[in-house]
Order: sequence, then C-alpha cells, then structure tokens
Amino acid sequence: MRGGRCVTRWFGPFATLIVAAIGAHWATLAFAPNVIMDRALSTLKNRGIAEHAFTTPQRIMPQTQAVVRSSPDLFYSLCRFDLSERGSELSVTMGEWPDYQSLSFFDAETNNFLTLRGTGKSVSQTVYFHAPPPDDAIGVQAPTKRGVVLIRRLAPTQKAFAAAAEAAKADACNIR
Amino acid sequence: MIRYGFALLLGAAFGVGSALYMAGLWPGMKPLDFGTVEIDGWRSDFAIGSEAADPYTRARVARHGLLALAKSEAVYFTTTTDSEGRALVETCDYRVTGGSMPSQWWSLTLYRQSDSMLPMNTDEALSIDATSVGRDGDAWSARVSSKQPDGERHWISSKGAEAFDLMLRLYVPSEALLADPETALTPPVVERLSCAVDAA
Repeated sequence: MRGGRCVTRWFGPFATLIVAAIGAHWATLAFAPNVIMDRALSTLKNRGIAEHAFTTPQRIMPQTQAVVRSSPDLFYSLCRFDLSERGSELSVTMGEWPDYQSLSFFDAETNNFLTLRGTGKSVSQTVYFHAPPPDDAIGVQAPTKRGVVLIRRLAPTQKAFAAAAEAAKADACNIR
Repeated sequence: MIRYGFALLLGAAFGVGSALYMAGLWPGMKPLDFGTVEIDGWRSDFAIGSEAADPYTRARVARHGLLALAKSEAVYFTTTTDSEGRALVETCDYRVTGGSMPSQWWSLTLYRQSDSMLPMNTDEALSIDATSVGRDGDAWSARVSSKQPDGERHWISSKGAEAFDLMLRLYVPSEALLADPETALTPPVVERLSCAVDAA
C-alpha cells in the first residue's frame, strides 16, 4: 500500500519532468537557427555592415577578422536585407570579376537559399518576400523577411584584393 | 507544488541541455566533433550550407557553418592531427605535401583551435592556395612553423596559434568529389619534422 501511494505521489511530477524535457528539447532545436542568425545579424550591424548596401570589407588579417574561419584569400562583401515592407524587393548586382566570384543569399534561419556563380561576368538578381512584382521575371522568393547577401571574390594577394575592391564599385544592393 | 516546480525546472534543463549536446551546440564543441566524410584524418561536413532535413543537423549547420556555401559551390575539410595522429601544435614544425585537387581552386589555412580564428601574428603567412603553389606543377610542398624557415618557398605561420587545425577549402568541387569523396580526393599529408624540447 505504501509503495502504491509512493508511485501515485511521484507520477505527476515525473510526468511533468518528461513533458518539460521533451518540450524544451524540441523548442531549443526549433529556435536555435533563428537565434544564431539573429545574433549574427546584430553583430554585423554593430560592426558597420550596412542594410540595403554592400559594405566594402577590410582584407582578412588576424587583426581585422570578425567571423570565425574567414579566409584571408577571399574578398567578402556583405549586405543585410529586410523585406518586411509589403511590395518591397531587393535588387542585387555583383560586378564583373575575372576570377572566381559568387553571390549567395542567406535567410534568417541561416539557410543558403540561393547561390549564383559569376566567374568573369556580372550577375543580377532580385529577391522578394511577400509577392513578386508584376514585371519581375527573375525574382526569387526569400524564405524569411530578413537575411544577408554575401559576395565572395578570389583575391589571395594584396594586389588582387585592391583590384577586387575596385570591382566592388559595380556591386549594388538596393531595396525598392 | 514544490515537487512539480522542481520537476518542471529539471525537465526543462535536461531538455535544453540534451538538445544543445545532440545538435553540437554545447559550449566548446567544434565542427571537427562532427563530419559526414573522413579521409585520412581530414573531416568534412557535407550538410553545411544545405537545408538539412532533420532539426539536429539544421541546428548544427547553423552554428558551425554560418554563411558557409553549399557543397555544390565549396567543400571544407579540416584536420587537427599530423599523419601519425598527433595533435598539431605551435611548438612543432611540419611539412605539408599534396598534389592537384579535384576543384577549380583550393586553399589551405591555419586556424587556432581554441576559437577557430586566425592566429594573432603579423607574419602575413596565413595560408597557401592554388594560385601561389600552382606554378610548381601538380606536386607541392609547404612548411608550417612558428618561424620562417630558410630557403622555403611556401610557408604557413603557426606563431601564436598554440594548438591549431588546418582547413582545406575546395571551391567549385568536381562532381566526382561530391559523389565519391574517398576516391576523388587525396588530401595533403602533414608530416611532423621536429618539436621544441619541451613539446609533447
């Protein structure tokens, strides 16, 4: 009888523990990508990465690095975007570069939802969230309202980096 | 009520902790603790950059592959040990040798293991890449050491790194590499040459 009372007494708390553990486990997994990207976007903002404009970077050196595992051989140019306003559209152009370059889009859950390679050519892309503009033939829908656009250019020397910075003058990241 | 409150807190703590651990988000866990591909001590996570199906992989990729490209554009291999399985440390000198890689461009970069950042030095010798060693033909060789070696054309400085890892980036990988990495890739060999007297 005493054993039975003990089981009854602890059944409720034990069930509560199990339910809380399962709920917290899945909530952590579900929200982790958003939290990580939210912190990354805040960090980028605090480091001067503009919204709806590409920010010309410094060459990656031990003294200038901001993101883990950045490559000193690449030119990185970043643009934060926010498509919260209904009807807004992000228009992005990656200028011409003779060597490897890519234009990649990341949503607010860290997913790389689009990457375009542009070795030796200029590439343009529009991105919308709510609905495509009527005259938009090349637009892509972003999975989330906020995110980051990243241009990578192969620039392993100081001379190549300076040339990449010059090429970046043709880059554009505008909201309209 | 105290029992229920305690159970709720304990359950929530266990749930959060187990999720962080299983997804590789527990403090101190490194990308090298995971990996879907391993070749001669070099590990890669081909899920990085993809919209992974399961929530554990999604969370792991978010933490360790932030702003990384999908494997169709670039793959990343990392090693923390030399060819005999010993940890890479600043107090030892290494020779790294390799050949052509199954990609359009590649680079080899040294990162401090403690925080995955470039070591804080002013040697301007953080990496080698296909454009710097390519002139030597398919086979190449480089030294990894804390001081610039005499007569060595290609050098990666480990000064200030303490324990470190080497990351191999392969941009625009070949289809063969993506389909069968173990066959398509012969990763660089990292040979320990010598160590300071007090090194392990």
